[in-house]
Amino acid sequence: MEGVGVAITLRGLSHTYRTDDGPLTVLGGLDLDVPDGGYAAVTGPSGAGKTTLLALLGGLEQPQSGAIEVGGQDLTALSGDGLAAYRRATVGFVFQHFGLLETLTAAQNVELAGTLAGTSPAQRRARALELLAAVGLAERAAHRPSRLSGGERQRVAIARALVNEPRLLLADEPTGNLDDDAAAMVIELLEKVRADHACTLVLVTHNRDLAARAEQRVALDRGERVSAPV
Amino acid sequence: MRWRDAAAMAATSIRRRFGRSVLTVAAVALAATLLVALVTIAGTARTKVLSELSKGGPLSGITVAAAEADPSQVDNDSPRPGPPKDLDDRIRSKIIALPDVKTVLPIIAAGVNVIVPEPPAKPDVLAKLPPIPSTVATTTTGAPSTTNVTAPRATVAGLKTPDPFPETMVGIDLERASLMPITILSGRLPTPHSLNEVAVTQGYLTRMGLSKRQAAAVVGTEVELGAPRVFSDSGLPNRFRSRWVRATIVGVVAQETAPGQFVVSIEQTQAARAWTAAGGDAGGRLEIPTSPYSGLFVIASNLDKVNKVRSDITDLGYSTSAPENLVASVQRYLRVVEIVLGAIGAIALVIASLGIANALLAAIRERRREIGVLKAIGARDRDVQRIFLFEAGVLGLIGGTVGTAGGFGTALGVSAIVNGYLTAQGLAGVRLGLPLTVLLSSVVGSTALALVAGALPARRAAHMPAREAMESV
Repeated sequence: MEGVGVAITLRGLSHTYRTDDGPLTVLGGLDLDVPDGGYAAVTGPSGAGKTTLLALLGGLEQPQSGAIEVGGQDLTALSGDGLAAYRRATVGFVFQHFGLLETLTAAQNVELAGTLAGTSPAQRRARALELLAAVGLAERAAHRPSRLSGGERQRVAIARALVNEPRLLLADEPTGNLDDDAAAMVIELLEKVRADHACTLVLVTHNRDLAARAEQRVALDRGERVSAPV
Repeated sequence: MRWRDAAAMAATSIRRRFGRSVLTVAAVALAATLLVALVTIAGTARTKVLSELSKGGPLSGITVAAAEADPSQVDNDSPRPGPPKDLDDRIRSKIIALPDVKTVLPIIAAGVNVIVPEPPAKPDVLAKLPPIPSTVATTTTGAPSTTNVTAPRATVAGLKTPDPFPETMVGIDLERASLMPITILSGRLPTPHSLNEVAVTQGYLTRMGLSKRQAAAVVGTEVELGAPRVFSDSGLPNRFRSRWVRATIVGVVAQETAPGQFVVSIEQTQAARAWTAAGGDAGGRLEIPTSPYSGLFVIASNLDKVNKVRSDITDLGYSTSAPENLVASVQRYLRVVEIVLGAIGAIALVIASLGIANALLAAIRERRREIGVLKAIGARDRDVQRIFLFEAGVLGLIGGTVGTAGGFGTALGVSAIVNGYLTAQGLAGVRLGLPLTVLLSSVVGSTALALVAGALPARRAAHMPAREAMESV
């Protein structure tokens, strides 16, 4: 499978949430470079800003200050439909909670990304089945998420993330809800996908062993980069 | 995202949340049922009441008498007519030419002697009908006839055949009888141009000692109608000879279009009048009205024009009557009733729509992460909005359709019960039409209200931050 990754450049990226106890800075002037096709693991304790970093990279939120460039695209200049188009065309998400719609079958969940991209029903159906076969779930295409194991659900989620051939794959604790065997299978699948598609992979994890497999480790604590894993 | 895909996603969501969807649809359906049933019943009741007021004829009907107008009575629905005044083809043409006059129907009355052969009612039919009241037939005598007068003859138990009696037969244009204020109680009207068929009025039933509920018993019996002509022999008092016609009673009608218990074709009254008017061989002649027409039934182009047409006819010098004031007043009250009933249904529909809004808001709360995921994989705000709007619209459409069908079914059921009651009372039943406008408005209205109700939840869903996708709970 052919694909092209994206380089990530963050400069002075800051993000603050308003809380009942006052402003909470979750990212404070973060600088980061991930090369095109790179594999970065973001680690850190809860509240370190890992998920916010992933949300900003994925265009789920607009940056408040600082520069964020993905594949030469300035995300601070995008909003609304622009960010939606960016998410659709550039990003593939894998969530800790899988993010599958319970009302849809595995194949329909995978198709969903193609549906949003306006792909014809026949094309997206074929693509979904192809990807489900690629993650070893061809025979579970008609099953709903509730009938799949955790590992299978995450593999469906990975298949869905690949529908639009993303250049950036973002995984938020992809093994957080899985047992060891399923976690190993999922991480191997992610790495294989990255290798096959040559896409850039950024994953957030608490798992040090998993982080150790990445080419680049980004340790965060209270919104700032720290030199050593916490 | 395409509209079709949004619709498919909404449909899937509705299917998967079946219980909630059914409850939401049920609320809309019940409201639509209430609305359609109330409006349809109110509309039918309105038609029935107005039909009763107009005696089965058009609401814009005006009766013109062969009498002079009393200018002080013009605004009365039933004015007191002035002295007789001939109503002929010249006047008829003038009335036809008046603005806002749609149709003019002639009425010609002719006096006849009547003999009722035995039996006056069909015993087999009578046996199946409610019992005859204790009062027996009233008989009238003194008719100018050469026929021997005999005492009432007992036929069916409790029923007596009357002695010969004088009456008036009323000739109308039977081809356009549906435009006349006539309601058929039993049987049918005579066929157009028929000279041997007759319909009788309730007055005839009373004469036979029958009630309205027993109307069917006289259908199929016969009467002999004799138009009298005077003739005299020298030195002898005037005597009368009748031109007899044996006619079959084919129906019973509820109203009298003009004074007279027999409704016949206009040709029959013309023939009777001609016979009577010709007089006897010695020059003797019965006094009959000189007016060629006994009256005219004029139909204005619509109810609003009735007053103007009446005024124009009064200007021509003729007395008119029409239930315009009564109809207008009743219409106002009925309108109020319709508005109130419609409002009750509409309020129910609004409440049901709030149910849709509530269900969708609840769904949005439950589906925060799902919405976030949709956005994370590329859905735009308007894509999410479409999905929820479709969901609301589909719930409204299904509820509206089911409810509209249910409402019409309810109205049919109610009309069947009402008809049963009316028939038992010997009254004409109501006919429930297919109120397409009401049915269509109900379906479209339910869907539109559901869309309005779904607009806010859909907007809220659309503006939900994509970040929700990252939340673990």
